[in-house]
Amino acid sequence: MTYINSWEEFAKAAEKLYLTNPSKARIVLKYRHCDGKLAMKVTDDIVCLQYRTEHAQDVKRIEKLNGKLMRLMVSK
Amino acid sequence: MVLLDNDTFLTELTRLFQKTRISGAINVTMKQYYGQTKPPPRDTKRTSVSEHSEHKCLFRATNGKKKLSTVISSKDVTKFQMAYANVLKANMDNLKKRGKRDAKTKTKTNKAT
Repeated sequence: MTYINSWEEFAKAAEKLYLTNPSKARIVLKYRHCDGKLAMKVTDDIVCLQYRTEHAQDVKRIEKLNGKLMRLMVSK
Repeated sequence: MVLLDNDTFLTELTRLFQKTRISGAINVTMKQYYGQTKPPPRDTKRTSVSEHSEHKCLFRATNGKKKLSTVISSKDVTKFQMAYANVLKANMDNLKKRGKRDAKTKTKTNKAT
């Protein structure tokens, strides 16, 4: 349950993980307003990737990756 | 689990965000979905994912007490994605902004152009 600190690394690994097993992978966003914390997790129950942030500018790229993966899910 | 249509899901999601403003957290999960609610049989040789005709996306949201879910089909994805992004941007407003003043003015000028 370790967090990946670099966003680029996380985004790359997350996409790769999803593509290796699209039917098993799930993406979770967790947001705590009172603490001002946002976390994104991608897992296929074997590998678990997590990224955590407190900064508003990360919302945009998290949303972008989220949308990209959403598109991958419905395509094919 | 309450299965809602896309628009109702987003309004309920906004409500859920407002509920967790003072305490608690919100979890939003998404995964690939093709209408199967039961676990696949052990012998998975026959039904591979590629056989399923239409791929959909299942969205779930919870604050630990209330559960919401919706299914997004491929034709609704663009619309939903934009609406979803707006909900996130509107509600995730307790994160740290860039502290420095010059950074702030920079973003402002970017917006203006």
